Amino acid sequence: MLQYKDFAVLASWLIGLFLVFSVSCDNSNESTVESENGNKTITYWSSPNPQEFALAKELVDEWNAKGHVVQVKLQALPAGQSSEEVLLSAMVAGTTPDICSNIWPGITNDFIRAKGLLALDTFEDYYQVMGERVPEDILESVKAKDGHTYQVPWKTNPIMVQYNAKMFRDAGVNEFPRTYSEFLDAASKITKDIDGDGRVDQWMGFRDIRPIWWQRYYDYYTSYINASGGKTFFDKGELAIDEEASKKVFKFYQEIYEGGYFPQSTLQGNAFLYSKIAVEFTGPWNISFLEKNAPESLEYDYAPLPVPDDYEGEAYTYGDHKNIAIFSNTKYPQESWDFVKFLISKEADYRLLEFASQIPIRKELLTDPDFKDFFKLNPSLARFAEQAAFTRGVDSVRDFKEILDSVARYYEIASVYGKMTPEEATLEMIEAIQILREWNK
Amino acid sequence: MKKLSKMIKPGFLLSMPYMAHLSLFFVYPVVFSLILVFHRWDVVTPMEFVGFKNFIRVFSDEVFLQSIINTGIFLVLHIPLQIILALFFANLLNQKIIARGFFRTLYFLPVVVSGVVVTILFQQLFNYDTGLLNQLLHKFGMGQIPWLVSENWAMPSIAFMATWKNVGLYVILFMGGLQSIPAELYEAAELEGASTTQRFFYITLPMLNPTIVTVIVLSVIGGFSLFIEPYVMTGGGPMNSTLSAVLYIYNQAFNFGHMGYASTMGLFFAVIIFTVVKIQRKFVETEVY
Repeated sequence: MLQYKDFAVLASWLIGLFLVFSVSCDNSNESTVESENGNKTITYWSSPNPQEFALAKELVDEWNAKGHVVQVKLQALPAGQSSEEVLLSAMVAGTTPDICSNIWPGITNDFIRAKGLLALDTFEDYYQVMGERVPEDILESVKAKDGHTYQVPWKTNPIMVQYNAKMFRDAGVNEFPRTYSEFLDAASKITKDIDGDGRVDQWMGFRDIRPIWWQRYYDYYTSYINASGGKTFFDKGELAIDEEASKKVFKFYQEIYEGGYFPQSTLQGNAFLYSKIAVEFTGPWNISFLEKNAPESLEYDYAPLPVPDDYEGEAYTYGDHKNIAIFSNTKYPQESWDFVKFLISKEADYRLLEFASQIPIRKELLTDPDFKDFFKLNPSLARFAEQAAFTRGVDSVRDFKEILDSVARYYEIASVYGKMTPEEATLEMIEAIQILREWNK
Repeated sequence: MKKLSKMIKPGFLLSMPYMAHLSLFFVYPVVFSLILVFHRWDVVTPMEFVGFKNFIRVFSDEVFLQSIINTGIFLVLHIPLQIILALFFANLLNQKIIARGFFRTLYFLPVVVSGVVVTILFQQLFNYDTGLLNQLLHKFGMGQIPWLVSENWAMPSIAFMATWKNVGLYVILFMGGLQSIPAELYEAAELEGASTTQRFFYITLPMLNPTIVTVIVLSVIGGFSLFIEPYVMTGGGPMNSTLSAVLYIYNQAFNFGHMGYASTMGLFFAVIIFTVVKIQRKFVETEVY
């Protein structure tokens, strides 16, 4: 028989284990808490990007200095392979913050199904605030299936071509190519062996060729939106890939890799900065980076992505939207909403442009008198702001990441290695997507 | 009986921490994954019972099959190379050479360096256009090798890298084995007129058999868990040629939220590992001297 003493030892072990668990499962650091001095606080996760974090810090300090009863505690999104992975883990562990401003719209469906987000349209002034700021069609696009809205469309990063003007000029190309043929022609002139050792050491551009789903946002998916005149993969919830556009995109990149205009490898350091490559598909976030780091001799500019030769109309692109959401575990929903309103105020949007070189989703941004002078002084950002009107995001479907994984597989086979025709790749890719959607039903 | 009970109690209490650890980190995950194989679960929403759907999917998933074949190819390339090199270097380092301690440390160094660091380093070395290896080949008038960008070269390159990273550990094991072989055996063989080659094949190798078994078992276990190298260097490409089973299972679970399906693949993979280990034990361990 176990004696009292034995039970005491056993109980001590169990209590010890319980304490270990309690500590490891403690989420008081992340969610709404009452701080040591008695002030109530809400936690706000911002992107860890240095410029964006600096902006968030300034805004939080300003908010807290105003003496609000509920103070805001700022944290950078914890490190992980992607923000989505970190947020999903936090949701499972119950350690989500009150507010996060780095929400990729493609993931919100998962959060909504898990009842992890607060329906923002339940706040009385929601429609008034949003109506003043966000264009009608964008507001409609973030509406969930249940009719509620769980996210504030905050900013967009239109993907454009950043190009080295001097390298183009040296190659005898005075205007940035508008079509695929012009781009490939320029690429054949720019890609060359500069030091004469028999190996190419200057390329038209570079893209990561590893079959990683999110890498395809910045080549295939952006070019698909562009070639299809602004279509995404789905139409009213049904798969509706524009086959012709997809074939053109596969072929375009196939010709790039066949010609050796993009290297089939990773390049050390920032190849654009050191004029090893002439173009980069990138967003406005790169502007502040180049302003700080580019050598004086680097002449660069931005242009829309090249379009198929027979394309007419505006050049569309992928928007890389990031939204703000309030998590349902917040103890202070109204105060959190008040802080969100502060984050999307005109003054804060101005600083988003200034600090982080990112485009706020705001009506008539280019013509707004409060922003007009800023864009005059920052012509590079003005180009992105112009492009922002012609962007598309991602479809809010459950298996979008997996769909892009299929795209990555066929992009690699057809475009990078040329082992499949663009026609075969498109048809097989669509079939693969249909099969995976069937499995996931 | 009372005495026995008195003896059992402290043992029971002392083993409690281990039992708790075992239950939490082994029994619970295994039981949970066995439940998961019959469910669909994306971590954030409640589980949904799907019967044998995950099992049916495993049998029709060509990519999973390819990932298992890829893992097999890696093992076939990596294990013999590792054993031969480790044995070679262990023999060298077992001789009375100058700065022996320094060389021993040098060979062991890659083992303690982070796998990710080594992988990134080799990614740059293997780089097709700008990598050091192709630069050297070009300098000597040879053609460039598509180390990581060819279906035929990518897995051998990864196997080579993994061998470079781990060989130091097996060198140490082999050196331990070599030093435990009685010197009299070599002396007797030498007196009988045995050549160096004969001494190696008739004394060294048979006497090292227990170490060889250990090295094979450790290499097989390590090889089956191939993950960091393809994850960082190739992402599973080109055209899935370096997609290991563990990487594919990871992608399904943590990128796409198919916890149930990933568990089912994990179960199949565990059965394969179990079968290989069984066969290995039957054929290799019986040879132990």
